[in-house]
Amino acid sequence: MTGDAQNADALTGEVLRSALVAAAEEASIVVVRAAHSAFVVEGSDASAALLDRRGRLVSQSMATTLLHSASLRCSLPAVIESFPLSTMRDGDVYCMNDVYRGGIHANDILVFKPIFAAGVPQWFAATLIHILDLGGSAAAGVSALATDIYQEGLQLPPIRIGTIDGLDQQLLSIIAANSRLPDATVGDLRALIAGANVAARRMASLIDEYGEAGLADGIEGHLAHSERLMRIGLRAFPDGIYRATYGLDGDGIHPDRTYTVAVAVTIAGGRATVDFSGTDPQVAASINAGFSQTMSGALFALRCFLDPTIPMNEGCFAPVDFVIPSGSLLNVTPPFPGGGRFLAVFAAVEAIFQAMSQADPHHAIAASGILQPFALDGRGSNGAWIHAAYELGGMGARWGNDGLDAIGVHHGGGRNAIPQSEPLESRYPFVVERVELIADSGGAGTWRGGLGTRTTFLLLDDARLTMRCDRLERPPCGVQGGRDGRAGGYFRQLPDGTSLRLPSKSSGIAFAAGDRFVLETSGGGGLGPPGNRDESAIDIDIANGRVSPDGARADYGRS
Amino acid sequence: MVVHVAAQNQTVVAVDIGGTFTDAVLSTSSGLFTAKVLTTPADPAQGFMECVRRVLAAGNVHPGSVERVVHGTTLATNVILERRGAAIALITTDGYRSLLALGRHGRVEEERYDLWGSQPEPIVPLSHTFEVRGRMQANGDVLVAFDAIQAAEVADAIAALGVAGVAICFLNSYVDDRHELAMAEICRSRLGPRVSIVTSASVLPEMREFERLTTTVMSAYVGPVMSDYLRSLAESLAQTGVHAPIFVMESAGGVMPAALAASFPVHTIESGPAAGVIAAARFGGDCGADQIVAFDMGGTTAKAALVRGGRPDITHDFIVGGKGSFGGRRAGSGTPVKIPAIDLAEVGSGGGSIAWLDPAGAVRVGPRSAGASPGPACYGAGGVAPTVTDANLILGYMSSDSMAGGTMRLDVQAAIDAVTLTVARPLRVSLHDAAYAIHDIANADMAAAIHVVTVQRGIDPRRFTLVATGGAAAIHACRIAARFEMREVIVPPHAGVGSAVGLVRTDLLTERSRSALVPLADADPRHLQKLFDDLTAAAAEDLESDPRTMIVERTVAMRFVGQAHELEVAVPSGSFDARALQALEQTFLSDYRRVFGLDVRGAIELVSFRSQVRRSVGAPIRDDAPEGVDSPVALERAAWFPERGGLTPTKVARRGDLEIGRVVDGPFIIEAADSTTVVPPGWTATVHPSRSLLLRPADRHT
Repeated sequence: MTGDAQNADALTGEVLRSALVAAAEEASIVVVRAAHSAFVVEGSDASAALLDRRGRLVSQSMATTLLHSASLRCSLPAVIESFPLSTMRDGDVYCMNDVYRGGIHANDILVFKPIFAAGVPQWFAATLIHILDLGGSAAAGVSALATDIYQEGLQLPPIRIGTIDGLDQQLLSIIAANSRLPDATVGDLRALIAGANVAARRMASLIDEYGEAGLADGIEGHLAHSERLMRIGLRAFPDGIYRATYGLDGDGIHPDRTYTVAVAVTIAGGRATVDFSGTDPQVAASINAGFSQTMSGALFALRCFLDPTIPMNEGCFAPVDFVIPSGSLLNVTPPFPGGGRFLAVFAAVEAIFQAMSQADPHHAIAASGILQPFALDGRGSNGAWIHAAYELGGMGARWGNDGLDAIGVHHGGGRNAIPQSEPLESRYPFVVERVELIADSGGAGTWRGGLGTRTTFLLLDDARLTMRCDRLERPPCGVQGGRDGRAGGYFRQLPDGTSLRLPSKSSGIAFAAGDRFVLETSGGGGLGPPGNRDESAIDIDIANGRVSPDGARADYGRS
Repeated sequence: MVVHVAAQNQTVVAVDIGGTFTDAVLSTSSGLFTAKVLTTPADPAQGFMECVRRVLAAGNVHPGSVERVVHGTTLATNVILERRGAAIALITTDGYRSLLALGRHGRVEEERYDLWGSQPEPIVPLSHTFEVRGRMQANGDVLVAFDAIQAAEVADAIAALGVAGVAICFLNSYVDDRHELAMAEICRSRLGPRVSIVTSASVLPEMREFERLTTTVMSAYVGPVMSDYLRSLAESLAQTGVHAPIFVMESAGGVMPAALAASFPVHTIESGPAAGVIAAARFGGDCGADQIVAFDMGGTTAKAALVRGGRPDITHDFIVGGKGSFGGRRAGSGTPVKIPAIDLAEVGSGGGSIAWLDPAGAVRVGPRSAGASPGPACYGAGGVAPTVTDANLILGYMSSDSMAGGTMRLDVQAAIDAVTLTVARPLRVSLHDAAYAIHDIANADMAAAIHVVTVQRGIDPRRFTLVATGGAAAIHACRIAARFEMREVIVPPHAGVGSAVGLVRTDLLTERSRSALVPLADADPRHLQKLFDDLTAAAAEDLESDPRTMIVERTVAMRFVGQAHELEVAVPSGSFDARALQALEQTFLSDYRRVFGLDVRGAIELVSFRSQVRRSVGAPIRDDAPEGVDSPVALERAAWFPERGGLTPTKVARRGDLEIGRVVDGPFIIEAADSTTVVPPGWTATVHPSRSLLLRPADRHT
């Protein structure tokens, strides 16, 4: 870029930057509002992005899970590999879900629509949502005991799902035939395409406004702007190599195995290298992650220690090198399963948090409880039903501050993704009897870990439960003398009150009408010795019920 | 000049309390008078009374002859945001004590990367939150009987806390509220009449326990403060000799009697901004425009709302303190309060917004604002940061004496210094290039608010007229309109006190709603007719009016089975029969196609039902501002127009000097005591008989 161009960008580049983000944002709003899967509409488990023909991320929607941030940019090259740019036609729509080529897992469908300028695809509008079911050995994509990819659902390599003449009905019928909820699945696919159409239209009007060359220049300025901000942030961080590991409970199949994710973060001269060498090899169980998921998690974790307002685009990736060994837990290869991706990725995120904490003990955070998903399904008089949702564990204590209760710290999530009870009860054969904070579940410390929750479902009809989670056997650890958080779990409570602890990864567990399903999430770890906790903070915790009088005695020596 | 022949020659005083200024308008049979004083945040009633005294003096009107007082207030919003409501307790269903404390906070945008933030304390602390056994199911069956003994124990425990109010919210009470009513009765008998009791089903009988809970809690929290405030206001007015009934602007664009505002205080949350939209609707209507983008620009924020067919668009998903960039209020931010409210988008960009360079050297504008103190650098009150107002002054759009009718002189050199130091010199660009970049970025930021209410709702803004209110709005209005290819801009008379003028012209309005999940295929028209009749009767009772004398509008929220988002569909007037059901289905399908661009077929369900009643009291305005004479334009100054190559000699006229029918070609600047209008090159301005300025691209004369 010339000096003049750079000045022009500095002066009014903000106008185009906003327009590019707004285009992606608008697309994601359309996707969420038009979607059929409750997962999407309640949890906003959707993303939209603009990309260029080289697969670089131009802009991304801002409301959604940060574990989506790398997947669209990593997958587009796979689509272009299968469908060279010269073969693409205006009006084409492509989709895929291949975890080995940049995708996430079977249920996350990625849609791409080329945007033409001067007769060639210059940019792409892309959208992505978690659809509720696309087959596999268990409902809702929670095939917790899968030992290969084929048990996790229908695999979609890059395909052309539509052209200017409309959607490919044969492909649609294959997709519908592979879903337990065909109508919702096809509805969600249409929502994805509607969103991509919106982003493409906005991009076309930007081409009109700026001209092709002007827009291309402006986009370069936009990416360079984020990259400069990233480098400034990385330079402000003390140079060094920061190492940490974090463990997983197990894989659900081999009872005596545990796993470890290792990371070395090197910060030097405004660049970062995130190296996962030393991470355990992949396993024939559903705890591995595709490389794009690992990249999303790693960039997110790094950004938690930088300026949070940097616009997300390729410039954020530019000063970061990723070393993700192929065939490890964090870079799965065929035919190993990848559906349990968040288990390995959250361990990677935690390991980076712990590594970065070493750079400054006053910016330390203890380990946190994670997202704890489940799916209940049954076959009532009105047909099959699936309720898939999750609850969140407590956040680890931070230096100077208690952890937040039940919040999704590893993916930038929040509690607005948890469905409310009344809409569920109006639709499904269960009563959500209790949704409560678990007293004493936050790890004791000078600063206390955030609390976990207990949710109790009273089943009014027979149902089956499928779930997978982590940090239930090795609970979130405390740091600097703080104690571990309380481990959560999945339980079946019989009508007589007997409570049975269930494995943390399983599928198809039978529940009878009258049984209760109890979901407990883990509390976050504490930070600093409990004996140093401020007395008035303990009083407030007791008044609010976050710590019980017994807990205060046991953890803080209150008489 | 008489704009409207007043049907009722009412003497009306309207007072709008904003963040910086309190504005009053007096409408009488002989004309319109205005007054403006600084808001008195510690005791807003003080500024209110001062403003009333001034405006009565200006109109030479005896206090006793005032027939109606209309008030726009941000009290409810401020009480919630500043957390200074009444001490209250909360009673909820066994198992749900954590409902409010857990919240539904979604970490939005940059918050997602924030590992260091603190947990917000719930408005009712857990120590004041109680559970009572008793469980209603979604189908109305009782799963667990209401435990009256435990309820009495809870009421006694609350008595010991000494609270001013109690909020009661039980699961599924929108289906059957008998447990809530029983709990309320027990509270009343044990806590006495001085403690106000609010049940969730009385406030919002709709599904989704969290929004019902927050709406109920906020009602209990704000109610005592609001009723104290309105009572003392009535007393102060009476002491001044004003004995007229008081009406309060509510968020959906109507006014309600003060007593009703005290019972339903959350309905007044968007009071002031709603009045501005009504002003835009009425003045736009005077010019024959009924498809309007109401655009209001203040010191710290800009707001946009749609008016279609003369009526503002309404949302039912309002969030107090909601945030999100580009004018969106993100679900999961702020506190949801389920009231009908004018669908406003708001961006943190206004005259006081500060321009700055980010670490990578790019110019940014806002969201930090210089506010009223120290204010923009040119106010000369100690501000050194360059603001949008400073840029407008440098560009010649404003002059040193164009603020507040010249009573407040602006310091041009201070503006130049601020822009030079912060933007022009570091980037090595000219002063005017830097100032225009600030102006341009502010335009884009403010346009985002319009984008939210049009493009993002699937509405093409090109057919709309932009109506600009707020003192500086008309400096930016044509540039913003051009971004959307909008071809008409209206600047109403008294644009700078638009909200207060809107209050005078607002109708009585209230609504009631109820949730009930009904598959369209199973809908029984007679049942629905009864449901609507009950809602309409309850709403009419709120206004103490006979429903037959009122305008009634009914809507149904509908969606495809399986979706969680609904579309609001208008019910045709007349009795509810099978044909009405068919019409509903057709409207829903075509609205869906319009909004989502998707032609979907599938099972449809009805989700909730609303009835809105309105009674016309909005007084027409008689504006006897002096008729302009065809005076020559005496003034000229240099103003910056990039399409003319930069600084351009530009004619300037006082607004009162332009006679009706006068047409001027841009570049041209029109100044009034309360607002400035910039007519850019390629635009013309015409003085409409209603005294509004009509601005259009030059290729479209009328």
